[in-house]
Amino acid sequence: MDALVAQYSRPAFADEAAVSDDQLELAQSMPPLSLKFALPPVAQPSSWLRSMTDDYSNPNCPIKIAHGTTTLAFRFQGGIIVATDSRATAGNWIASQTVKKVIEINKCLLGTMAGGAADCQYWLAYLGMQCRLHELRHKRRISVAAASKILANLVYSYKGMGLSMGTMCAGVTPQEGPALYYIDSDGTRLAGNLFCVGSGQTFAYGVLDAEYRYDLTDQEALELGSRSILAATHRDAFSGGFINLYHVKEDGWVKHGFNDTNPIFWRTKLEKGEFSNVTADIE
Amino acid sequence: MGSIFQGAPIPEGPGYSFRETPAVRQAPGPSSAAGERQHGFYPYTDNGGSTLGISGADFAILAGDTRSTSGYNINTRYAPKLYKIGGDAPDTPPIALSVVGFAADGAALAERLDTIVKMYRYQHGKPMGVAACAQRLSHLLYMKRFFPFYVAAILAGLDESGRGALYSYDPVGSYEREQCRAGGAAASLIMPFLDNQVNFKNQNVPGSGQGHALEPRKPYDLPRGTVEELVQDAFTSAVERHIEVGDGLQMMIITRDGIEEVYRDLKKD
Amino acid sequence: MVGFDFSNHDRNLALHAKGVPLPKATSTGTTIVGCIFDGGVVIAADTRATSGPIVADKNCEKLHYIAPQIWCAGAGTAADTEFTTALISSNLELHALSTGRKPRVVTCMTMLKQHLFRYQGYVGAYLVVAGCDPTGTHLFTVHAHGSTDKLPYVTMGSGSLAAMSVFESQWKPQLTRDEAVKLCADAIQSGIFNDLGSGSNVDVCVITNEKATLLRNYITPNVREEKLRDYRFPRGTTAVLNEKVIKREDLSKYVTVHEIGDEQPTTAETMDVDTT
Repeated sequence: MDALVAQYSRPAFADEAAVSDDQLELAQSMPPLSLKFALPPVAQPSSWLRSMTDDYSNPNCPIKIAHGTTTLAFRFQGGIIVATDSRATAGNWIASQTVKKVIEINKCLLGTMAGGAADCQYWLAYLGMQCRLHELRHKRRISVAAASKILANLVYSYKGMGLSMGTMCAGVTPQEGPALYYIDSDGTRLAGNLFCVGSGQTFAYGVLDAEYRYDLTDQEALELGSRSILAATHRDAFSGGFINLYHVKEDGWVKHGFNDTNPIFWRTKLEKGEFSNVTADIE
Repeated sequence: MGSIFQGAPIPEGPGYSFRETPAVRQAPGPSSAAGERQHGFYPYTDNGGSTLGISGADFAILAGDTRSTSGYNINTRYAPKLYKIGGDAPDTPPIALSVVGFAADGAALAERLDTIVKMYRYQHGKPMGVAACAQRLSHLLYMKRFFPFYVAAILAGLDESGRGALYSYDPVGSYEREQCRAGGAAASLIMPFLDNQVNFKNQNVPGSGQGHALEPRKPYDLPRGTVEELVQDAFTSAVERHIEVGDGLQMMIITRDGIEEVYRDLKKD
Repeated sequence: MVGFDFSNHDRNLALHAKGVPLPKATSTGTTIVGCIFDGGVVIAADTRATSGPIVADKNCEKLHYIAPQIWCAGAGTAADTEFTTALISSNLELHALSTGRKPRVVTCMTMLKQHLFRYQGYVGAYLVVAGCDPTGTHLFTVHAHGSTDKLPYVTMGSGSLAAMSVFESQWKPQLTRDEAVKLCADAIQSGIFNDLGSGSNVDVCVITNEKATLLRNYITPNVREEKLRDYRFPRGTTAVLNEKVIKREDLSKYVTVHEIGDEQPTTAETMDVDTT
């Protein structure tokens, strides 16, 4: 009888371990390199692309891709805080002040975008899709480690082609607890407690490192995330706009607003006496 | 001397990049500021012109001038930059696309999107929503991430609740839903005007307070007449100060009754 | 010291090599023309000055005075045409005073080409020189590198081809004054409408043996239409964080003050402003 049952049923978590055809399926679900993406008919597509789109090495390049950012995320006693600015620049042009740089992959996973806006938007959406497929295949949510690795492997397969992204994956899973990973287009993937990414990263680190403690209360942590972004928008010309704040908790993330930096700046200055170098005095 | 400070962050100066791409330096010549040019393959032409879109409570407006240029020459005084997407079957929600930059890429992009929206209808027996169309356009652009379309696109339509919907794109597909957007040659002239007149940036409510307590003026849904006037003023002003903008102004007003097309002349010098 | 100051040359070269772009000069990407008629010569120009694709001045003057009966239309770098013609105008005046004769157009043309040749094209002035002197009526073009031409009708600048097409199809020997003015104005309009570097209005200068007549804004085919909306902001729209009043008696701390008493202040020149 048992043998009969065994013959017609499969263990509930037969697919738990990544079996080889499972991996094959995953690999094949990735878009093939040259079939899906159009390539220019030249010997060195990547250097051609750079000459057309990299405004850093060639300020007069014809196609200006949206860039520039400050994003940060840190782990603390109450979970993870994720905060970003909202400015997109193309060369010296402020392309937008209202970019949503926190991408909601699912209700427990967040991604942040820095670098090429299109690269981040596209591949984090793709990651969201892979995470959902993982959920359907395995009947449980993907770990942050696995999700970040899908992205890291993906960008690594395009290494040298000109992708530009610096992203963080923040999430909570029962296995890992709150987990934070940094992934960039060079292929780097780091686990850590605290990251700042983007052109304004140094300014954000300055504030964050000085005030950070693991046992911050939720309120203090949110305040610190916001204050660090404010510092970066104040000193980095390529960051600005609105402060986008998220708190990742055990039962999913909570959004804490998308607030204009200008009134926040003046409130911080006038009520707390910070930024005393800025004055409205005459003479 | 202001222009010295207008360049992108200078190499070796304070700046930031994920990839420290060392610029290949050439001997300083008349027109080689940074190195890395000298590619024989240059498939783009800038055809100039400008586009603009504003969304309202129950409508969206797309506008574009009709001049096509290359260098100091005018190719034609009437080359529309606005395209209707998805045919005009009676139950199809109206969608329009504006593309500015390299006109050939723009035409190719509009054609592809149009085909996709039509095919969607044939295959699924229902029209494509504007949000889906917007995401599909993003993917179309991103599929050419390594050989980009040289275009700035704006997509306009009505969302499922009947509100005006406007989506703007960069050349490789990053997109965002917005209230208003200007694209193309005179974007830097028109966009600040729109920020001020549509989103009321840098405007406060007189008498609402003193100094920092003065309340910012809150944006609201502008009526269609106002928006049409703003669009025309934006273009007649851009024509005054940008040599690549002029000849004619084409507007598409997207309402639940369909797409209304308006054309008017602009200065031709 | 006379002449150009090259002391920043090496520094700027080093900055340029580091990727700092050169400062943009205002260029008069222009249409200028000239045409001889029976009894004199006409020169004409458009009035657009550009800086890259941006219109820097909608109504600039490209017809320069050199001598009472020698005028010059300039294309190329705005500052170069202005200063080169002013320099030669000044030298020609001194020359006229020391010789006691009316200045000749050839003299002016020769001084211009010698100056421009010396600077090997780096002084970016492209000129149409025209005038009447005791030897007759003359019309020349002078290129930035120093070469010159003497022709019955000439065009220069980015709109030169558009303008020349009008001359080549409509010019004839023995034109009257009015025909020549019309022809030149048409040529400029061709440049205004077909060349992006040219625009706005037509300036004309007619020089005869008796006198030179400058017809500023002879044709204005590109008047800006009325704006549809009113863009005046109510007072109080901008936040005032701080204010300081400087009393009239304290003004002299900041600027030099000359009392002019009760005399009526004279208006030297009124500025062109948008009335809307």
